[in-house]
Amino acid sequence: MHGLISIWPVAWSRQARSSATMALATALLLLILWLMAIPLSAAPEPIGNNAQYFAEGTRITVQLTLVAGLSGVLLGVLAALGKISRIPPLRWLASLYIWVMRGTPLLVQVLSVYFVLPAVIPALRMSDFTSACVALALNVGAYNAEAIRAGLLAVPKGQIEAARSLGLNRWYTFIDVTFPQAFKISLPPLVNNIVALLKDSSLAYTIGVVELTNIGNRIQAATFQPVPIFITTATIYLLLTTVMTQFSDAVERRFDVEGKLG
Amino acid sequence: MTTTADLVKPLITVEHVNKTFGENQVLRDVSTHFDAGKVAVIIGASGSGKSTLLRTLNRLEAHDSGRIVVDGVEVNDNARNLDALRAEVGMVFQQFNLFPHLTALENVALAPRRVRRLSREQAHIRAEELLDRVGLKAHQHKHPFQLSGGQQQRVAIARALAMQPRVMLFDEPTSALDPEMVKEVLDVMKSLARDGMTMIVVTHEMGFAREVGDRILFFDHGRIACDAPPVTFFDRQDNERIRAFLGQVAH
Repeated sequence: MHGLISIWPVAWSRQARSSATMALATALLLLILWLMAIPLSAAPEPIGNNAQYFAEGTRITVQLTLVAGLSGVLLGVLAALGKISRIPPLRWLASLYIWVMRGTPLLVQVLSVYFVLPAVIPALRMSDFTSACVALALNVGAYNAEAIRAGLLAVPKGQIEAARSLGLNRWYTFIDVTFPQAFKISLPPLVNNIVALLKDSSLAYTIGVVELTNIGNRIQAATFQPVPIFITTATIYLLLTTVMTQFSDAVERRFDVEGKLG
Repeated sequence: MTTTADLVKPLITVEHVNKTFGENQVLRDVSTHFDAGKVAVIIGASGSGKSTLLRTLNRLEAHDSGRIVVDGVEVNDNARNLDALRAEVGMVFQQFNLFPHLTALENVALAPRRVRRLSREQAHIRAEELLDRVGLKAHQHKHPFQLSGGQQQRVAIARALAMQPRVMLFDEPTSALDPEMVKEVLDVMKSLARDGMTMIVVTHEMGFAREVGDRILFFDHGRIACDAPPVTFFDRQDNERIRAFLGQVAH
C-alpha cells in the first residue's frame, strides 16, 4: 500500500508532501471523531441506534492514546537518557523503571494506579480517565525508552566528536546532532509502540473508563448481538490505526533526506 | 642565536604527556610545542600515536599525565574551559563526520549560531562565503550523501573554519578518499597554509609534507623520533628506521 503520501503531485518537495500528508491525516482523524455518528446511525440496529455511544467511546479512546502517547514519548526520551547516563543512580533508576514496567502485565498496572496507589498515598487519588492515562503512559514509556536508546546508540561516535570539536556543548550536541539522527532510527519501533498503545487503551475499560471497547461490551450486554457490535468496534480501531500509520509514515518521510524509502 | 621568533610563546605546548589504552602505551613522555602561523606535519606508522596526540590537543582523548596548554589555557576536564578551547581549535576528521541530516550550508552554520551566537542570517552568509572559498557554493543546499568524498571533506574544512579557529587539526584528512579526490582537498589545505593558518596535520601524503610543512614530526612507538624541517627530514635523514619507513611509503 502506497498510502496518502502518493496522492500529491510529484513536483512537490519531499517536505511539502510530508507536511500535506500530516495535515490531511490530522484532518481525517478530526473528521472521523466529529462526524462518525452520521454514517453509523444509518446502520441497522443495534449499531444505528447506538451511533452516538460509539462516537463518544471513540473520542475517549483517541484522547487516552494521544495523552498517554505524547507523555510516553517524553518519558521514553528521559528513561533512555537515564539508562545511558554516566551517573550511576540515574542509570539504576531508569533500569528499575523499565524492568518493572516491562515485567508486569499492563492490566495489573492499570488496576494498581487506580486502586493501589490511592490506598498507599491518598493524595494520588485520580479519576478513572487520569489513572488510565498515567498507567498507559508509564507502560508505553518503558518500551519507548528502549526504542530511543537503540536510536541513540546507533548514532556514530564520530558525529558526537565532530559536534564537540566545534565547541558545541552537551545540550546542543544532543538537540542538534544526536537526537535528530536517533529519532529517525527510533521512529518505526516507536510507531509500533503507539499502535499497540491505541489498542491497549481498551484495558482502561477495567477501571470504568467509557472508551470504545467498554461501549461495545455494554451494548452487547444489553442487546445480546455480539457479531455486529464487535465487527463495528474492530473496524473503528482499524480505521484509527490506519490514519495513525499514515501520519507516522509522513513523519518518517520527512526525516528521509537520503531517499531510502523510495 | 636568539631571534624574536624564539621569544614568542608557542600557541600549543605539550609537556611529558603519557597516554595508555589498556595495556598499550600509545604516547610515551611526549614533549613538543606548536607555533602560531606554522604548519607541522606528523607522520609515522599506524598505531605510532600520531592521531592520539592530535586528539589529546582538543581532549577528544584525555591524557593520563603531563600537561597540554593551548593558547594559555590548560587542557583538562573543566567543561567551560573545554568548550571555549574547542571553539578555538578546528578539527578535520578522516571520515569527514559531516552531520548527515543537515545540508552543507547548515553543517557550516550550526556551530557559529550555537557557540558564537550569530543570527541565522549572519551564520548563513558566513557559511556561504566559506563554501565559496572551498569551491562548493553551488552545492550549498545539498546533503552530505549527495556529495563526493572530496566535496564532503571540503565542507568539513569549511565547517571547522567557520569558528575562526586559532589552529586547525587535520587527522588523516585524505586517507578515506579515492585517489582522484585527494588533490582537491590538499589544494584547499595548501591555500589555508598560504594564508598563515596554524596547522597540525597527521597524514601519509609525503608530497604535501615536503611542500607545505614547516617541520616534520616522526612518531615511532609513542615517541617523537625525529623533529626536523622537511629538507633535513627527507633528504638528509640519518635514522635507519625512518629511511625504511620513507622507502615503504614513497611509491
